[in-house]
Amino acid sequence: MTELLKTPLFDAHVALGGKMVPFAGYELPVQYKDGALKEYTAVREGEAGIFDITHMGQVRVQGSDALAFLQYVTTNDVSKLVDGQVQYSALLNDQGTFIDDITTYKINDEAYYLCINAANRHKDVAHLQAQAANFDVEVLDDSDDTTLLALQGAKAQAALQTITSMDLEAIGYYKFARGQIGEAGGIISRTGYTGEDGFEIYIPNSIAEDVWRALVAEGAVPIGLAARDMLRTEMGYALYGHEISDAVTPVEAKLMWITKLDKGDFIGKAAVESRKAEGAKQRLIALRLTGRGIPREHYKVFVDGEESGEITSGMHSPMAGGGVALAYVKPEHVTEGQISVEIRGKQIEAERTQTPFVRSNVRR
Amino acid sequence: MSIPSDLRFTKEHEWVRIEGDTATFGVSDHAQEALGDIVFVELPEIGRSIDAGEAYGVVESVKAVSDVYAPVAGEVIEVNDALEGEPDLVNSDAYGAGWIIKVKISDNNDDVELMNAEEYATFLEE
Repeated sequence: MTELLKTPLFDAHVALGGKMVPFAGYELPVQYKDGALKEYTAVREGEAGIFDITHMGQVRVQGSDALAFLQYVTTNDVSKLVDGQVQYSALLNDQGTFIDDITTYKINDEAYYLCINAANRHKDVAHLQAQAANFDVEVLDDSDDTTLLALQGAKAQAALQTITSMDLEAIGYYKFARGQIGEAGGIISRTGYTGEDGFEIYIPNSIAEDVWRALVAEGAVPIGLAARDMLRTEMGYALYGHEISDAVTPVEAKLMWITKLDKGDFIGKAAVESRKAEGAKQRLIALRLTGRGIPREHYKVFVDGEESGEITSGMHSPMAGGGVALAYVKPEHVTEGQISVEIRGKQIEAERTQTPFVRSNVRR
Repeated sequence: MSIPSDLRFTKEHEWVRIEGDTATFGVSDHAQEALGDIVFVELPEIGRSIDAGEAYGVVESVKAVSDVYAPVAGEVIEVNDALEGEPDLVNSDAYGAGWIIKVKISDNNDDVELMNAEEYATFLEE
């Protein structure tokens, strides 16, 4: 087995009582000493939470063909981005299924940053570098030099403003700025995966501990993987390896809104078009248990007594007051039939609902 | 947290309080700590017969689903309904309000081996 990697904040996590677990090749805290529910509550109910998401990868794309290259390798329309804007997008293979979901940061027409999933980093970089051969573009993996923090919740902006000269109020939703952070320079974007207002902060590893300690001193509550996944799931956001994978296309995953078939050719486009024409074999839905229990990943979903699919992410939602889940079902069951979830051999009734499962407080 | 001296324990970190022919079951403070925040408890039906060592219920934390096992054999006579609304009582008061069920002890408990508080404390250190 490959040795697990440590982020520059490993010692800080241990000092805070972090229960370290393997995740995407790294040792990361699943929770700190007060537990996942308190962490979740801090983010949802008016505080700010700080997350070490350094395991995620950062890829720099630069060169005169940068825009044309990204139009070809990503699903969303990169030409719509203005300098300083972020876009949720995806990398597909020729079969139209997901290599990864990503965010694209536009610095200018010839320079972009991609933020990618940790577990897919080497696969993504190899794919991008192979495709780059046909373009005047360089693909550089900056992941090992960059610490990535998320600061999420109502008090995120006030806390972060104490350590940067950038005017955070001026950074809109899915926008970013580059400037001084602590003792160095970095990027701050108003993005995140929790449904709360907040930021993601890209800084050099050399200042990671200083920035972390300063934000914790400002009241930011350290958040582990368990609470992070609760916050993500409550918003119904897709996570690679759960809702999306190389087994599904954007048609199944309800991600056609980031797949722009009218922008010109891109990898996977033809396959997505034909999948769209022939119809998906399964579709992602959101459900809420009306009976008692917690719907969890891989539990089977039944419709009118017939097995229809399985849960990809599920949880007990404190705010929704019960079990909520995302699940793939047969297309004929997206809107029709009585849904139930099999929990330890028993059928527990559920109903279809919409995401987010609880109110989103992102700044639009 | 000190381990109450009137309880007996299993290697699966369950506790049992025996009073006459009645036994109350719960999970130890060590167990609740290891499980993390408990968000759901599945309780058995009243009247069910349970063997010693049999899974009689389920405790779910934010991330994990865990069976709970009977320290002694018996018939379920009472379940802690409060756990349906407040499953976190298992975390906050594992040896008190976080009890899970009560059974009428049956007579097939000859092979059951339980630890006293002192033995359990030693077991936890090993």
